[in-house]
Amino acid sequence: MHIIVCIKSVIVKAPEAGMVRSHDSTELNPFDRPVLETALRIKEARGGIVTALSMGPESSISAISEARAMGVDRGVLTCDPALAGSDTLATSTALAAALKKLAPFDLVLFGTRTSDSDTGQVGPQAALLLGIPLVTQVHSIEHRDSGLYVERTADGFIEKFELSFPVALTIHPASAQPRDIDLAGIGSAFEEENTKIWNLSDLELSPDQVGDAGSPTKVLSISRAKRHKKCEFLKGDALEQADELIKQLTESGMIG
Amino acid sequence: MDSILSEKHRVVRRSVRRFCERELQPIAKEIDQEARFPWEVVEKMGRLGYFGIQVPKELGGAGLDSLSYAIIIEEISRVCASLGLCVTVHNSVAVYPILAFGSEEQKAKWVPPLARGEKIGAFCLTEPNAGSDATGIESTSIKDGENYVVNANKVFVTNGGVADICLIFVQTNPGADRKEMSVVVAERGTPGFVVGDLEDLCGMRANPVSSIRLYDCRVPVKSLLGKEGQGLRIGLTALDTGRMGIAAQSAGIGQAALEEALRYARQRRQFGVPIERHQAIQFMIADMATLVDAAKLMTYRAAVLRDRGKPFSQESAMAKLFASEAASKITDMAVQIHGGYGYSKSYPVERYYRDARVTRIYEGTSEIHRMVIARGLMR
Repeated sequence: MHIIVCIKSVIVKAPEAGMVRSHDSTELNPFDRPVLETALRIKEARGGIVTALSMGPESSISAISEARAMGVDRGVLTCDPALAGSDTLATSTALAAALKKLAPFDLVLFGTRTSDSDTGQVGPQAALLLGIPLVTQVHSIEHRDSGLYVERTADGFIEKFELSFPVALTIHPASAQPRDIDLAGIGSAFEEENTKIWNLSDLELSPDQVGDAGSPTKVLSISRAKRHKKCEFLKGDALEQADELIKQLTESGMIG
Repeated sequence: MDSILSEKHRVVRRSVRRFCERELQPIAKEIDQEARFPWEVVEKMGRLGYFGIQVPKELGGAGLDSLSYAIIIEEISRVCASLGLCVTVHNSVAVYPILAFGSEEQKAKWVPPLARGEKIGAFCLTEPNAGSDATGIESTSIKDGENYVVNANKVFVTNGGVADICLIFVQTNPGADRKEMSVVVAERGTPGFVVGDLEDLCGMRANPVSSIRLYDCRVPVKSLLGKEGQGLRIGLTALDTGRMGIAAQSAGIGQAALEEALRYARQRRQFGVPIERHQAIQFMIADMATLVDAAKLMTYRAAVLRDRGKPFSQESAMAKLFASEAASKITDMAVQIHGGYGYSKSYPVERYYRDARVTRIYEGTSEIHRMVIARGLMR
């Protein structure tokens, strides 16, 4: 069984000015950690190998290293100056090309979102480009001989799916508690170099398909949103204030 | 700082930091106040390899290098210095001497349970009348057939209250040169092995520091570590590594104090602005950050030299001296920046201040370190 987990190295702090991705300013997307855990559990149950795939500058290798320390077998980073400025569609295009190159695979797993851009679009777009079925927000997985039973919760309903391979899933962050990294695992992960770096020509993509050129959307600027705080003093005696407080909290949907 | 580290070492730091912030941060204040050893976390750390950081994998350890070791101790100490102390002492002056001087049989017997944290190690050198003058020990170990009869009175034993496997420094030939000391390994539970009351300490309160006394305690002759008379060499070799650990611990405490001071200086307002805008505060923060950085760099240099198989004794002593004195200065400034609140247990800086103080005393005082360093230069 070949499981591929698509992960991202995210910016840790909101940028004040220009965005610079470096070893000190990035980390493995926290929403990807439960996904890696899910992949490792599936591997433990069914055997096979787990590949971590990422796209980004060379510092993104940190995220792959962390995945390998958790127990992932190998890593692939798609990295090319032409990829800079990629929006979610261009990112999905590059990832889909890498996934095709990594074929055959049975399962492609994504997080539901990232902590730094939070679009939730890459998993679904990549699955579409690959032409494989997709279930999003999966919170539980059961193994069946030829495939999987998965569940997702949407709009207050629980949906169950029976799936055959190959298939793509986005994994709900509450679905699995990521394991603590065993110190011996870190040593093992770095004993042999097992992360490949693929550039655009390895992916057989042209520069106009990715990066700024291949992105229909552009981030023009980022600035910190101002939060407007409102402070209201309740009037009346203590009993009236308490009643008013309960009324307001109930009306705003915070209690009741 | 992490830009100079390899990818492996960055992963080590991130992994340990995540674990410590989740498992230790929430209880760090409580275990300090209650002087409680957090077994519930220690057991998890044992399973994850923290008690055999540099022990080869075939003996149950994590098989990491010295730089990883320094980073791990720094990160644990950033959150809870008492547990940083437990882990560094266990690894550097209890497990490592057995690895370096033990027979194959001794290693196979003692190292795997120590490396998994199932048993805790301790280094028992200090006595009521022998501290900086280590050769002044009065404990004895007299051969009697297949056993040594050990009589020892060891004080201020780090991990003493929970230690299972103890390296006891003794005189095997009491009439001979005082430097001809030896090390026997004694296990808790052996008749005559007595753990004294826990010390009620100023800092490092979650570490069960105690006395350990052996009364006519019979330990097998094969529990002798190395050879008779080799004890001083074993002790000094262990302390070279141990000092690197204390330097890392001090850097971790300094880092924590710096982070707290920065946080507080941003939030506390005086004279109409956050106090971080006042130059007096900025100067303290700049000094603190510089000291933390230098302490880390000196510690990492000692670690890298050790990893390369180069002499590192002098560098380790310098790192320990500098980092421990830096930790005292940094935590003092952190308290000062917090003003009255820094003197209150409502904020963690008073704990850092108390914890930092002893780093200038144990594993060789600052004064002994200056002697060691000077001696190294004047050879």
